[in-house]
Amino acid sequence: MLYRTAGQFKTSYKADQALFPVKQDAILLGVILVFAWVVFPLAASEFTFQTLLIPILIYALAAMGLNILTGYAGQLSLGTAAFMGVGAYACYKMVTLMPWMNPIVAILLSGVFSAGVGVAFGIPSLRIKGFYLAIATLAAQFFLVWLFEKWAWLYNYNASGAIQVPNLEMFGVYVAGPQADSLVQYYVVLAIVSVMTMLCINLTRGTLGRTWKATRDVDIAAELIGINLMKSKLTAFMVSSYIVGVAGALFVFMWRGAAEPNLFDIPLSFRILFIAIIGGLGSILGNYLGAILIVGLPVVLGTLPAALGVPIASSMVEHINVMMVGALIIFFLIIEPHGLAQLWRLIREKLIIWPFPH
Amino acid sequence: MRHFTRLAALAAFGAVLGTGTVAQELYAPNLAYRTGPFAATGIPLMNGQRDYMTMLNARDGGIGGVAINFEECETGYSTEKGVECYEKTKGQAIVTQPWSTGITLQVLPKSNVDQIPILAPGYGFSPMADGKVFQWAFNTPASYWDAASMMLEYIGEENLKGKKVAFLHLDHPFGKEPLPLMEKKAADIGFELLPIPVGLKEMQNQSAQWLQIRRERPDYVIMWGWGAMNAGAITEAVKTRFPMDKMIGVWWAGHDADLKIVGEDGKGYKSISFSYPVLDAPLMADIQKYVVDEGKTLSNEEEMQGVFYSRGLVISMILAEGIKVAQEHAGTAEISPSDLRWGLENLNITEARLAELGMTGMVPPFQTTCANHTGHSGGWMLEWDGEKFQKVSDLLQAEAEVIAPLEAQMAAEYAAANEPWPVSACN
Repeated sequence: MLYRTAGQFKTSYKADQALFPVKQDAILLGVILVFAWVVFPLAASEFTFQTLLIPILIYALAAMGLNILTGYAGQLSLGTAAFMGVGAYACYKMVTLMPWMNPIVAILLSGVFSAGVGVAFGIPSLRIKGFYLAIATLAAQFFLVWLFEKWAWLYNYNASGAIQVPNLEMFGVYVAGPQADSLVQYYVVLAIVSVMTMLCINLTRGTLGRTWKATRDVDIAAELIGINLMKSKLTAFMVSSYIVGVAGALFVFMWRGAAEPNLFDIPLSFRILFIAIIGGLGSILGNYLGAILIVGLPVVLGTLPAALGVPIASSMVEHINVMMVGALIIFFLIIEPHGLAQLWRLIREKLIIWPFPH
Repeated sequence: MRHFTRLAALAAFGAVLGTGTVAQELYAPNLAYRTGPFAATGIPLMNGQRDYMTMLNARDGGIGGVAINFEECETGYSTEKGVECYEKTKGQAIVTQPWSTGITLQVLPKSNVDQIPILAPGYGFSPMADGKVFQWAFNTPASYWDAASMMLEYIGEENLKGKKVAFLHLDHPFGKEPLPLMEKKAADIGFELLPIPVGLKEMQNQSAQWLQIRRERPDYVIMWGWGAMNAGAITEAVKTRFPMDKMIGVWWAGHDADLKIVGEDGKGYKSISFSYPVLDAPLMADIQKYVVDEGKTLSNEEEMQGVFYSRGLVISMILAEGIKVAQEHAGTAEISPSDLRWGLENLNITEARLAELGMTGMVPPFQTTCANHTGHSGGWMLEWDGEKFQKVSDLLQAEAEVIAPLEAQMAAEYAAANEPWPVSACN
């Protein structure tokens, strides 16, 4: 009923291949965007901004970057956190060397550095595949974190070895650093993430996206029909690392405010990989769903007992939390191994034919 | 309609009652970690802190007649969870106890905006001692630079000249903290400083680091370890037969359980400390009476005899004294975060006050001012005798004339890097 497609005729190829062939999808997205741009910012508290809204957006963006590489181009990577680190450190160096630089420009440019590093570490992908490639990207993970620790120039010879975000101004408003307002930071993150998402949707629907998918499915066949595998794989590494790098810069500049090298260690890589896998590989929507589950659920579970007035020690809540999140991950993987995005796809299909299933 | 009025009256009554109970306590949350890789060292400290506050609530009905709500928010030592806890508690909290250098670094720049004092006893950023710059942060009673200075003083200048000192440290902001002071002292005295970092991943397997120590043959090993790193280093030192009496750890590397693993073999290992367990102190009797006998403690007898448990008591004492001084100054029992800042800035823990608290010998006397947020209490050298830690030195004092200029310089650099940063004049 809600999703009735009857009467929505397509009279041209263009209309048939539009982003939203079904009108209701566009309406739904509009509603979500209204919520994200208007309702949440008006209603949210500082706590909600800092623990739910901003991190979910940033994690979703990082997972989207990984999804381009792993979900669309089929190149397994375990080095996501390290590439985020490259973005964060590049951004830090840029704003400290050139304080006049617009922070948003710095954040967008920092992705260029991680794209370069990503391509360099993507070169082995031309010869190796699958798990072996995962090991090669793992090397990037170890090497880069080691570099963040040892190369003192990267953190301006700070005695503690950590990077700290200075107060950054843009048109008279603080957008990063301790003086920045959460609302402003949320809007900056939302704007960047929205633009990146649009970019990703269009890239994956276009020629490049089809090349990637062909490479992922059967690379020899792809090569036979004239796809340049080197170009396909390296562009995937480039685009993916760019997005991941921007996510890393946002991660530190718009949310954490400070970072030490081991923040970009394997646990973060795995976290993002989980978001991508649980959300659904080869899907854009899935990254958001995965981020909501992995980032948002522990926060909600953690605040629930106190909100309901159940007297449990906070360490106990944490233990229960870890178990519940673990159980939920297993549950979702059994119920829907293709991720939450596939779950939504099925629901949507059911809704379209409802109430008359075949 | 009558039903509705009654309901409304009930709701109004409940609201009055509700606000009444909320106002009757001071919310002093602790960002504890009883889970995760650092839990083993965290639990005794958290238990000590908690038991002290529980005792005050039971014995005196809190502080100044107001109960202390010493709720814990679990961080698992993770910065992300720490920030979540900070955001969750900052609405009502009068203090933030971040309990990790990572979380402290994160929260420190926000302190001027949110105006809640950060209490980081014996950890955090050493330049926080400069109260003019770090108006809202306190690392009472002693900083890491104090610790490094006291360790070198204990070894003695004449024993250091021309010698080689290995500085085994966690490769983390915490471990790197004393480096500026150590480098300066190495140049002044003329000993060779050999920094040996231990990565977070190598904490439990330090064979590479100890191979280097064996090859370089340092005369002393100074250790800046925490969590699993301590046990790793101590067992490795025993295995490589490094003379234990030449090994000195920071106060976080003096955990009884880490030494119990090696027992007799660890004899001679030293650790600097600003706290010492005095088991027959009147305070311990009160803890026994009001907390342990009532079944309110999470600790156990063995743990309560350790250095870390009593350090937890000392840390809560600092907070409780800060609250008390603030209440006297503000003239009200229900103090605000900025009142508490005044209280923590005007602590004067004398021997007489310690005797009143029943804590003689558990912490050296110290005094804070607006410009001095550390108090520089000094500390004692503790030595492992095979079963427990014993005090083996008189009260050591850090070299203020070396540390103070360094503090001022680093604090100024921090303020410059975080412009606009308000600096107080402290008149």
